[in-house]
Amino acid sequence: MRIEEKVKRESRRDPEFARWVRSVAGGEDIRRCIQCGACSSACQLSSYMDYTPRRIINLAREGFKKEVLGSFTIWLCASCYACRAQCPKEIKITDIMYALKRRAIREGTYPARFPTAVMAKEFANMIFSRGRVTENYLVTMLFLKTNWFKFLGMSRLGLGLLRAGRMSFFPDSVKNRSEIKTILNAVDGK
Amino acid sequence: MNLNDKISDKAPARIGFYICHCGTNIAGALDVPAVRDYVAKMPGVIVARDYKYMCSDPGQELLGKDITEHKLNRIVVASCSPLLHENTFRKALEKAGLNPFYFQMVNIREHVAWVHTDKPGATRKAKDLCSAAVRRVKFHKFLEKKKVPYHPDVLVVGAGIAGIQAALTMANAGKKVYLVEREPSIGGHMAMFDKTFPTLDCAACILTPKMSAVKSHPNITLWTYSEVAKTEGSAGNFKVTVKRKPRYVKEELCVGCNDCIDNCVFKEPKFADEFNMGLGKRKPVYMPFPQATPHVALIDAETCLHFKTGKCKQSCAEACDRKAIDFNQKEEIKEIQVGTLLLATGFEVFDAAKDPYYGYGVHPGVYTSLEIERLVNASGPTNGEIVLRDGRKPKSVGIIHCVGSRDAKTNKWCSRVCCMYSLKLAHLIKEHTGAEVYNFYIDMRTPGKMYEEFYDRLLEEGVHFVRGRVSEVSDFAMSPEEEGKLILRAEDTLAGFVRRVPVDMVVLSTGLTPKKDSQTVARLFNIGRSPEGFFQERHPKLAPVNTFTDGIFIAGCCQGPKDIPDTVAQAGAAAAEALALIDKAYIELEPDTAFVVEDTCSGCKSCVPLCPYTAVSFDEVKKKAVINETLCKGCGTCVAACPSGSIKQNLFEDEQIFSEIEGVLTND
Ligand SMILES: Cc1cc2nc3c(=O)[nH]c(=O)nc-3n(C[C@H](O)[C@H](O)[C@H](O)COP(=O)(O)OP(=O)(O)OC[C@H]3O[C@@H](n4cnc5c(N)ncnc54)[C@H](O)[C@@H]3O)c2cc1C
Ligand code: SF4
Ligand code: SF4
Ligand code: SF4
Ligand code: SF4
Repeated sequence: MRIEEKVKRESRRDPEFARWVRSVAGGEDIRRCIQCGACSSACQLSSYMDYTPRRIINLAREGFKKEVLGSFTIWLCASCYACRAQCPKEIKITDIMYALKRRAIREGTYPARFPTAVMAKEFANMIFSRGRVTENYLVTMLFLKTNWFKFLGMSRLGLGLLRAGRMSFFPDSVKNRSEIKTILNAVDGK
Repeated sequence: MNLNDKISDKAPARIGFYICHCGTNIAGALDVPAVRDYVAKMPGVIVARDYKYMCSDPGQELLGKDITEHKLNRIVVASCSPLLHENTFRKALEKAGLNPFYFQMVNIREHVAWVHTDKPGATRKAKDLCSAAVRRVKFHKFLEKKKVPYHPDVLVVGAGIAGIQAALTMANAGKKVYLVEREPSIGGHMAMFDKTFPTLDCAACILTPKMSAVKSHPNITLWTYSEVAKTEGSAGNFKVTVKRKPRYVKEELCVGCNDCIDNCVFKEPKFADEFNMGLGKRKPVYMPFPQATPHVALIDAETCLHFKTGKCKQSCAEACDRKAIDFNQKEEIKEIQVGTLLLATGFEVFDAAKDPYYGYGVHPGVYTSLEIERLVNASGPTNGEIVLRDGRKPKSVGIIHCVGSRDAKTNKWCSRVCCMYSLKLAHLIKEHTGAEVYNFYIDMRTPGKMYEEFYDRLLEEGVHFVRGRVSEVSDFAMSPEEEGKLILRAEDTLAGFVRRVPVDMVVLSTGLTPKKDSQTVARLFNIGRSPEGFFQERHPKLAPVNTFTDGIFIAGCCQGPKDIPDTVAQAGAAAAEALALIDKAYIELEPDTAFVVEDTCSGCKSCVPLCPYTAVSFDEVKKKAVINETLCKGCGTCVAACPSGSIKQNLFEDEQIFSEIEGVLTND
């Protein structure tokens, strides 16, 4: 085990990141959080998270960008809104989780080979380029980018699905791809 | 049989005994029927009963009915502490036509039920104590309470917001109030603040109208720069000596025009200014602050050239066309007679230099909260600008909560107001400087109307809240960003790691402590102090403004840390309690006082100097000691001291005490 300094200096804080979190939809009230931990205890997945939702909120509003964007927490979040329902200060925790996921993908800081992150990214890519998701391709990409041994193990199930017509070899696509792109760009404010 | 004259003292005792269950308080811890039956067999006991709540109306009625029906002439109740219900039962006796002092109470709750876990043992102890009371009560005598007139005037000591509020309330009710303040101006700590939480209204705007009202009130005699030197007497009749320090300016002539100050031979202010915590300077002749009340200048003899060398040309006196300056002023002694005393002497902030880790007095960038209050104040030494001692504007500020609070090494208590004032200062600092502000706290304590909402507001304003006690403030830089800064190291217990935060300015939120002289002052007024040194209230919940000395009340932070709303409420409560006493117009004296048996008094005078209440004097004509019943508190010192046994004390006569001891010792 390597021993490294764990104390956080102020230079580790990125005020710009903190400002960005406040600017995203749902992030505007993040400062109101009183760190009560209701979100963490409501969250059924917090048992597996490296930082609890409460800590993510704390770190994000202080601008500890590296810790937040590198955490598993945002990828484990199942978007169940249990935290949001219980938060005494009505912080939109789930929305913030979404924003953090997007930012992590954009900056490529998500944990390598972590399935949720990879899947989210491939899913989005496919929608952007073709307007539709083709499960076959999505699953293939997911396994190739995370754990291709598993892919081999799943091949029988894949073949079965193909035979039953439940999955197609041919990539799905919408008719007018450029329209979808325009819509998605508009949503992203481009 | 007439039960209510001295002859009935001699009538054979017919005792009624009552033991109370106090719900399960007593009945759960000892065998109540066994005690009842034990006492029932004692000689002289006519009735012995147990009852669920003796203090309830039916309980008292039971007692009264028995007195009439069974012609009882002595009563013993075994229940709780006499402090709680002795009066209740004495009144019940009186109602049934029996002298209230033919009564003895046994405390089997606090002294037995609540302190023992062994039931048979507790029962035995209860039997012993009851048997003692039954034996003693036979010797009780007919006694009467004396009524003495209650002097209507009041003395209020300390003129912070507590003293001001109390004085105004009583003066408005038509009472004559003396208000004595140690400093040259009234106002206390509140006068130093710029804004007050949680509303952020300007402290001066809400305080100065009250200060002026004090000054102009026809019923208030205001003595500033004064202190109480001596008190004698007791509730209703105190004699108080007040010392008035010379201010070398005649209060009745000075109009506060500041001409003397402008013309002092010291052209520039040169001496540390107390009101601004030494952050500003003043001349030897000065006005403590612009709204000082009374608005009268004063000369500080320690720094004035005239007093130091005798060689000043006294340009101040020359400049004063009202001839108010008087270098010959001497200390004045005033003696007043009052019935009630109200202490509102306030608090002191914790001396930050006592905390070795925070570098107060070592690093110039470290300030106390009170210093910041002066810096943000528009009438403060920087006209409201928050600047460091070197003139720079701070870009980052760390506020450390709980300095000298919640710490076994200094003071254990929570000072209650510092979380809130730290939030207030964070807001003001951000508003005045735009600096990044970090509040380091252990718990955020904001209980109060609109207080949590104020915390919400500060959260939204973007103050960094780091939950963790700072371990040290140092100037030892470990990276370029820390160069030239003060570095605060604390575990951010919510983030889960230790942080180093470099700042330009550190604010220590010092706690509230008892005043250094609180012991001397408590002795002066003969009141108690709680372990940490604040004045002791009679009961923490039910008598928070009373003291154990009748006629003396406390209000404000001298009783314990509190904010302005609570201080004002407490001052009002203390004033109301005082008014209740005053308007009764007389005071009843407990009859358990000492008296001299003149026949045997040899006139040795041993007792005279011993009485702590100066109640014993000597009659030079009769050559006998004389005890003033009004002054006697029944402490028993003289009784024990008299070599010829010529002083006795009501309710504590020899046969009463000896029979009581016998009762405890002769149990089977
Ligand atoms: C930095 C700071 C900021 C604060 N900010 C706020 C705020 O924003 N809002 C709020 O609600 N509360 C605030 N508080 C609390 C507030 O200061 C107190 O609640 C209030 O001052 C208590 O008033 P007091 O009259 O009991 O005591 P004090 O203000 O201490 O007044 C006591 C007076 O008695 C005089 N005195 C003392 N001993 C003697 C003696 N032996 N003889 C004659 N006179 C004597 C003193 O000179 C003084 O004038 C703050 C406290 C601090 C330390
Ligand atoms: S529940 Fe809300 S207030 Fe509590 S820690 Fe979570 S985000 Fe903060
Ligand atoms: S929305 Fe996400 S963070 Fe919130 S409770 Fe559900 S899984 Fe946990
Ligand atoms: S006597 Fe001299 S030094 Fe003293 S206050 Fe007057 S002018 Fe100033
Ligand atoms: S009020 Fe806050 S700062 Fe003051 S002692 Fe209590 S917890 Fe500490």
